[in-house]
Amino acid sequence: MSDTPLLELEGISKFYGNIIALQGVTTEVRAGQVTCVLGDNGAGKSTFIKILAGVHEHSEGTFKLEGEAVNFKNPREALNAGIAAVYQDLAMVPLMSVWRNFFLGSEPTKGIWPLEWIDKTKAKRIAKEEMAKMGIDIRDTEQPVGTLSGGERQSVAIARAVYFGAKVLILDEPTSALGVKQSGVVLRYIVEAAKRGLGVIFITHNPNHAYPVGDRFLILNRGQSMGNFAKGEITQTELTSLMAGGAELEALQHEIDAAQNA
Amino acid sequence: MSDTTGEATASKPDERLAYRGVFQRALIRPEIGAAIGAVAVWIFFWAVSAKFGQASGAQSILDQASAPLGIMAVAVALLMIGGEFDLSSGAATGALGILTILLVRDVAGDAAGAGFSLWVALPLSLLAALGLGWWNGFLVNRTSLPSFIVTLGSFFVLKGAKLGFSKLIVDQIQVGKLDDLAIYAEANNASDKGYGLLDKVFAGEWVRNDHIWDSRDWVYSIGVLAGLTLIVLAIYEYHFRRRDTMNPTGLAGVVVGLALGLVGVWQLHGTDGSGGNTLGALLIGAGMLIGFLGWGMWRYAPRLASDSSAGDADGFMTPLIVGFVALVAAMAVGSWFDAQNGEDLSDAFDLGGSTNLIIAVVVALIAMLWSARSSSAIAVGSAIGGAISAAVANALGEARARVISSGIVALLFMMAFLNLSTEQGARAIIFIALAAVGFVSLITAASRGRRRDDRTGSALLLVTSLALVVMAFFIQSESASAKFRAQAFSVMLAIAAVMAIWAVATMLFDVRRFSDVKADAFARNLMLGAAVLILVGMVARLGWVTEAEAAEGGSIVKYSVRILWFIGFTAVVSWVLARTRFGSWTFAVGGNKDAARQVGVPAARTKTQLFMVVSAAAWLVGVLLAFRLNTIQASTGDGEEFEYIIAAVVGGTALTGGYGSTIGAGIGAVIMAMAVQGIPSARWNSDWRFVFVGAILLLAVVANNYIRTKAESAR
Repeated sequence: MSDTPLLELEGISKFYGNIIALQGVTTEVRAGQVTCVLGDNGAGKSTFIKILAGVHEHSEGTFKLEGEAVNFKNPREALNAGIAAVYQDLAMVPLMSVWRNFFLGSEPTKGIWPLEWIDKTKAKRIAKEEMAKMGIDIRDTEQPVGTLSGGERQSVAIARAVYFGAKVLILDEPTSALGVKQSGVVLRYIVEAAKRGLGVIFITHNPNHAYPVGDRFLILNRGQSMGNFAKGEITQTELTSLMAGGAELEALQHEIDAAQNA
Repeated sequence: MSDTTGEATASKPDERLAYRGVFQRALIRPEIGAAIGAVAVWIFFWAVSAKFGQASGAQSILDQASAPLGIMAVAVALLMIGGEFDLSSGAATGALGILTILLVRDVAGDAAGAGFSLWVALPLSLLAALGLGWWNGFLVNRTSLPSFIVTLGSFFVLKGAKLGFSKLIVDQIQVGKLDDLAIYAEANNASDKGYGLLDKVFAGEWVRNDHIWDSRDWVYSIGVLAGLTLIVLAIYEYHFRRRDTMNPTGLAGVVVGLALGLVGVWQLHGTDGSGGNTLGALLIGAGMLIGFLGWGMWRYAPRLASDSSAGDADGFMTPLIVGFVALVAAMAVGSWFDAQNGEDLSDAFDLGGSTNLIIAVVVALIAMLWSARSSSAIAVGSAIGGAISAAVANALGEARARVISSGIVALLFMMAFLNLSTEQGARAIIFIALAAVGFVSLITAASRGRRRDDRTGSALLLVTSLALVVMAFFIQSESASAKFRAQAFSVMLAIAAVMAIWAVATMLFDVRRFSDVKADAFARNLMLGAAVLILVGMVARLGWVTEAEAAEGGSIVKYSVRILWFIGFTAVVSWVLARTRFGSWTFAVGGNKDAARQVGVPAARTKTQLFMVVSAAAWLVGVLLAFRLNTIQASTGDGEEFEYIIAAVVGGTALTGGYGSTIGAGIGAVIMAMAVQGIPSARWNSDWRFVFVGAILLLAVVANNYIRTKAESAR
């Protein structure tokens, strides 16, 4: 593994007029590693992803992709550079089959224009294989995506991003709408994706999900970076307390204790 | 990388993805409702009118269905799958026809025209059409307004422009005449500007009576029978589990069965006497039994010891009894009522037509209330509709009962509405209603029996097929109409035979509960072969006459080339939708536009192209109309856009976008054409046509919705 991180962010800030959405965020993403971005609602997580995925441009700081400073103007540019975002709403068409969703927008074709048609056998085979590599057995790729469970849908989206050559995979709250078991399944896909050499950015507000899979943790609170730790530098308890704004929790604890003692 | 967890999960099948059997997979297709509906409507009109079932009937249905309705319905369905509507599509057909004629007209003075050759005029008007579609798409994309509003604007502009320009240029509310080209050319010995050739392309005809082919009936019967056989075999292939090595003994059965069947068909062709018919039928039946079971022995694994998956074994006795009672009642009605009595029953009670209607409404209300409550004995003594639906409601439970009783209510309502209050009419309607209830109940009993265990299910299916045989013989002996005694009788016997053999086969062979790509592909090829064979058979039957028929004379049947345009257009559009990126993107922009855009689908461009497909179809229809009618009214096409949308919806296309079928839209157009042709040919007042169309629309939407949720929940 080379020494240059896939993504390197230094002092990234974003201002919307006089509102400071994000200030001085520094972190890195290495190939084969999972960087978790933790934060409560309104912490600036969405702004952070939008900068990475090319939806917004950052106002200050440096954003380096494989050592070179970049500045994406739109999502397509980010995608072409190998940064794929899997959003909470998933970008899937529920009534369409798994394989059509998998290849939507980049279908493999046979024949010569204007007589060009989708290579259905190939598309189905690849979709099935790629899903199997992620550890999920979709026997019937003709099944509409709408009939899959939330975790399976995430896996389709992740497998799609991996197949189409993403180097960096951004997952926006992939576990927030899922039950305990399903979340476990998705966490396994995250590890799987990292093992295959991708840099994964896993955005969540649940430290219990982040800690087991993460190699690096970036904690955001009210647009400020609360710290950027490698796995060895922080425990899960510290992570939880930092994320919720430790001081506030402590104050609450004192209040409750006082009330009980009275 | 030593990864054990990944492999372990990969090899473990996901328990949530249960295998869907052949019938469930068929039900999930959007066009299946329309296909069943088309068969049902055809049988209905076949039973009540003389024209259906003859070549002239098929000709008028296909002609009515093809253009403008069918071609436009297919294009509009494509656009609706892409999530948009085009209310200007109806007016556009007339407008583009008028434009084409204006471009070729060559008259000086008040009634002017551009005087182009058709070879120039057609591409020019096509360009105008594409421009119109582009403009609609551009407005919808740019304003982000609902296409309903945007294209409503285009509709009024076109409607006004047609009238305005017609008056301005030719000073009439119609524009003609295209065939002046030919007349002028002949008179002046000049070029006809392509009219002669293009008239053949757009309005050519195939006159059936001019084409004699004596072995036509052979091609027809062999083609259709072989096709139906292949369908049955395909269902077997989908349903049963293949053996590891084929068993050649079974193959011998297939050969013997095939031979017996062929001899049977030959026997039926060569005879007129009833003894010969019986012999032929027995030969065919024996051939089916040996052939189908031989096929099964050859290919499929034998059934393992009883897999009594004792599921929710709710009683099959009640529906069984209801079924038998209904069938006996049907036969009683059939024999007691006088089939020849055409006297109006309501005269005896001194009731007028409106009283009829009131009675029907009251009966309908009682029946509906009853099926909604399905509790105590309120409806005892109420009219027959209430009683039937009550019995069915009790037997089958809420959900199904509501569907069935609404069907009965609709039937009774129609009976009163269409003044079918003669004794023979009442006999027919009540007989059909009771028989339908009977068979639905029996099949319900069989499917419930199968849920208990396979043996009970098969036994009940055998009972059902026996009941069908009895009913067939009853109809043969009691019916007043020759076509029931002959055709309906033999079709019922054939269905009974297939059902009975199926019941035996499910006892002998093992059901497949996993997906098998090879078997599925083979079954699909069988289905394709069946479609080709049936098509060949039908084309032979409809397109040619035998020498005997030609000698008899008979009415002249002319098929127009626009039927081919309709079929070809539907085939091409359906292929594009199913197999190309554009088709995939159409589903995507209709299903979830934002998601499609996120993964790089050019959503706006796709929508614009869809609008252009619709206007190109409108151009095709306009040209077809111009060549057929020679003169086009300024109002041609106005308001027809809703019929296109109805046909698309009847064909299973969702109003919300992202779901649907263009083949379904074509079938929907055929259903609507059958209504248009069937009502007058059944000698009912055709003023009520739109009542029928509206009823079909509602019924289709409800049925499609019901089937879809059912199929998806049963996954």
